Amino acid sequence: MTDITTVDPLITETADRLLSQTCDHESIQRAEAEGGAPEIWDAFAETGFPWISISEEAGGSGGSLLDALEVLRLVGYHAAPIPAAENGVLAGWLLGASKQEIPSGIATVVPSPGSQVTGILSGDEVVVTGVAERVPWARAAEKIVVLLEIDSTNFVASIDQDLCEVKPMTNMAGEPRDTVSFNDVKVAACPAEPGVSPESFRFRGALSRSALMAGAIEKMSQLTVTYTNDRIQFGRPVAKFQAVQQHLVWGAQDAALARMAAETAAREANRGDALFEIAAAKLISNQAAARATKACHQAHGAMGMTQEYPLHHLSRRLWSWRKEYGGDAEWSRWLGEVAVAQGADALYPLITGGSSTLR
Amino acid sequence: MRFTPTELTQDELRLQQDVRSFLFEELPPGSHDPCLGMAARKDKEFSKKMAERGWVGMALPKEWGGSDRKAIDRFIVVEEMLRWGAPVGHHWVADRQTGNVILKFGTQEQRERFLPAICRGELGFSIGMSEPDSGSDLASVSTKAERADDGWIINGTKIWTSGAHENDWFVCLLRTSPMEDGNKHAGLSQLLIDLTSPGLEISPIPFLDGSHHFNEVTFNEVFVPDTNVVGDLGMGWHQNTTEMAYERGGPDRWLSPFSTVEQLLREAKGTELEATVSDLFGELVARWWGIRNLSLSVARLIDTGEAPSVESSLVKEMGTRFEQEVVEKLVHLIDLEYSPDSNSMFERLLSQCVVTFPGNTIRGGTIEILRSVASKGLKGLPA
Repeated sequence: MTDITTVDPLITETADRLLSQTCDHESIQRAEAEGGAPEIWDAFAETGFPWISISEEAGGSGGSLLDALEVLRLVGYHAAPIPAAENGVLAGWLLGASKQEIPSGIATVVPSPGSQVTGILSGDEVVVTGVAERVPWARAAEKIVVLLEIDSTNFVASIDQDLCEVKPMTNMAGEPRDTVSFNDVKVAACPAEPGVSPESFRFRGALSRSALMAGAIEKMSQLTVTYTNDRIQFGRPVAKFQAVQQHLVWGAQDAALARMAAETAAREANRGDALFEIAAAKLISNQAAARATKACHQAHGAMGMTQEYPLHHLSRRLWSWRKEYGGDAEWSRWLGEVAVAQGADALYPLITGGSSTLR
Repeated sequence: MRFTPTELTQDELRLQQDVRSFLFEELPPGSHDPCLGMAARKDKEFSKKMAERGWVGMALPKEWGGSDRKAIDRFIVVEEMLRWGAPVGHHWVADRQTGNVILKFGTQEQRERFLPAICRGELGFSIGMSEPDSGSDLASVSTKAERADDGWIINGTKIWTSGAHENDWFVCLLRTSPMEDGNKHAGLSQLLIDLTSPGLEISPIPFLDGSHHFNEVTFNEVFVPDTNVVGDLGMGWHQNTTEMAYERGGPDRWLSPFSTVEQLLREAKGTELEATVSDLFGELVARWWGIRNLSLSVARLIDTGEAPSVESSLVKEMGTRFEQEVVEKLVHLIDLEYSPDSNSMFERLLSQCVVTFPGNTIRGGTIEILRSVASKGLKGLPA
């Protein structure tokens, strides 16, 4: 297999153009009020973007995981109100890994199935029961995909949304995070390939969020530079004041740091497990999001606190994504246990060599 | 501004492995008190051993005694040396910047005279920028070089001159013609000055803990021959700015507390402290991994011929603040009254970090100046 380390520039260009045309302030605001933006999704789906990284035999668009994560970075950058991460990188991956059909409509995933949803094997079917919380865009989905560990085997259940009860709920950015009840729903029992487990699913979810967050922090930083250069006080742009420059520099640093972390983790995940890189990238994105939202809001003054100005599309998403697929505590604990287990002499090799030193 | 992810090639990984083996042999863990970053002990023998392996001035061309390697190779060597706490003080400045400056701006004669000796790890250099009335506002330097037969007569004072009492040469930013029309950046030149020149006086400015790094260097009618002017007269500001891109953004700006952190893990292993430090280590390895990747991408950019001053300023500002944050987190977490003469190496190192690290965000350009440099290069939304 060839070692892919760069993204096809055409993907970046096309996704950026499409999303900048479809996701302006008004359309994102409208999506929040109406609980979705089917026209944005349709335009996005028409290009095949939702199924990048899923092989063409499996009904996907082909391309590498690196390409798919680049699209997610741009989805985050434009605060696009669509379930791009859920559909391809998560649900699509699970479906592909259990030889199931990719639906023509939206597929979403149950983010934390273990504690909320259970499955029982019954012949060649799985009976799914439970209440799943915070399921992204369940209301708009055709399929709700659940990874279930039954008797130490991992199964992927692909469930028709209309067999479930969906209660609309949201995250802090007003993105759909619905509560879904499964009342003894029967679906085909499809075992997952080796390597697909609750743990690897958690890491993949974290990887998807790092890509989204890297994009959102970068846009937020650029928005802040633009605003502070336009805004005149005391006879000059506020960006000329040293106290304001500090916020601009800190925002730009966190944008650079989060993007570097997400892109490096993406490169490594395209090659293999990349557990260390993904854990580090999610922790870095979480902390960068916390610092950068603070700096960018402060530099914007009161304007950033209004609905009419677009900063909140980014900052509220970042506050939500920070907690999805693992907050600061979960990932610092995971990394800390690894670091301590490696020991003092292996500490620096871990920083330079990452996951390759864990094998 | 764009930091492109990069990684080490097989050749570069081999170099990393060579440096690790060298350090393991020369300075086995536990055999030495690690130095805290670039303010490292001067050890001419150690510098010589590194030079024998081609690791001093390694990015300089072979014809001048270098190894024709790249900025990234130097990054690898420096990174390993610093995280090991190796005594790299003697050749540090020459290796990081003076060699480059002489190669880039110096005369053929200066290259012959200085570069091979730098690559042998023999020459120690000091840098003369700050003056009593000129710190962050570097262009306001007023130490004068006045025309004489075949050279220049210098009068004035430089301060905060690290290592002048031990080094051989002094690269000084001086005013060679009076300021005109308020253009502070014109009329400055870089001169190479022998630290044993008659009329040159070096006196210590003791560091807050009494140690001797800083000096005040006074010039009283010091003669410097024409042959020691680096580059074009009046171009000192430009040359100096170029030099800064090499100086900023490297591993010396984010690795200083590493050996302290590593030593904590060594001493905590198997004790009840191990569980306490675990979460902190998680955060630290992630941050170091992230900052290292940014810093590595700056080195790659330098290898493409660019002088990435905005990127390196961003990394330095972030890296030096991170160094202080690391120390603060250790102090917060470790509930003991550490002391500089404890039996525990970790405690000794931590004490030293607490006392010396406030300087990390000041030396080589304060973070306030770095923010001002970096913010000028920040771009807003694409049009």
